[in-house]
Amino acid sequence: MTNRLKNRLIAKVITRFPNLAQRFITAYTPWESDEPVPWTRPARPLRECTLAVVTTAGVHHRGQAPFDMQDSDGDPSFRVIDGASIGSDYRITHDYYDHSDAEKDLNIILPLDRLRELQQQGVIGRLADRHYSFMGHIDGRHIRTLIAVTAKQVAERLCKDHVDLVLLTPA
Amino acid sequence: MGLIQREIEKCGIATIGISIVREFTEKVRPPRTVFLRWPFGHPLGEPGNVRQQRAVVLESLRALYSITTPGEIIDLPFRWRRHDYQNNQEPGSFMP
Repeated sequence: MTNRLKNRLIAKVITRFPNLAQRFITAYTPWESDEPVPWTRPARPLRECTLAVVTTAGVHHRGQAPFDMQDSDGDPSFRVIDGASIGSDYRITHDYYDHSDAEKDLNIILPLDRLRELQQQGVIGRLADRHYSFMGHIDGRHIRTLIAVTAKQVAERLCKDHVDLVLLTPA
Repeated sequence: MGLIQREIEKCGIATIGISIVREFTEKVRPPRTVFLRWPFGHPLGEPGNVRQQRAVVLESLRALYSITTPGEIIDLPFRWRRHDYQNNQEPGSFMP
């Protein structure tokens, strides 16, 4: 519990003073790949496409299990987000950033209202019904789980949902 | 986040990611990225700032079609709240 409080305090400080964040960025070594960058061309104009959002900001419905904040390697699982109801029914479980602003307006991490407006204006063909949420801050042994299991599961679900394009938002 | 993006793109879905830490994105190499030097927890901007949020969404969608080199990162010119979002370019063609 002390660790969680410490993480939340650090998150608040580095959100307010972004220059201090540089120390944490330098200290963290992200996973690097030797594989080529995957590439899929958008097949159709945006006005004919179905778009979904995948976020790593730790947002989920109130009734869903929160992300595990006790594991220092993070939680590689995901939550299915119902686009129609999430705006009035959400919680954020993530100790590694200050989400007090996202609690005031979900659109700063999951911009579904803005995308809905673009759908109404005919810019986007269709906004998907389901979106997907991770926690981010995945490290150590859970990087493998993320790549080999849960990211693949989300990719398969997006295909089944007939999604053409995905926007990814971090925290 | 870039790791998830890579897996989705491998599945045959075109993706665009918003980054607020360029150093991580350069290492993970997701297919397409727009970068903003903004505070953590605010990839789309400030709460209630509809114009700012809309501008970031539109530029992200534009980048889905304008990026033709795998791994490219576009540095968006938005300077947080000092930018005049009123004059941001509105929708274009968004054609493949």
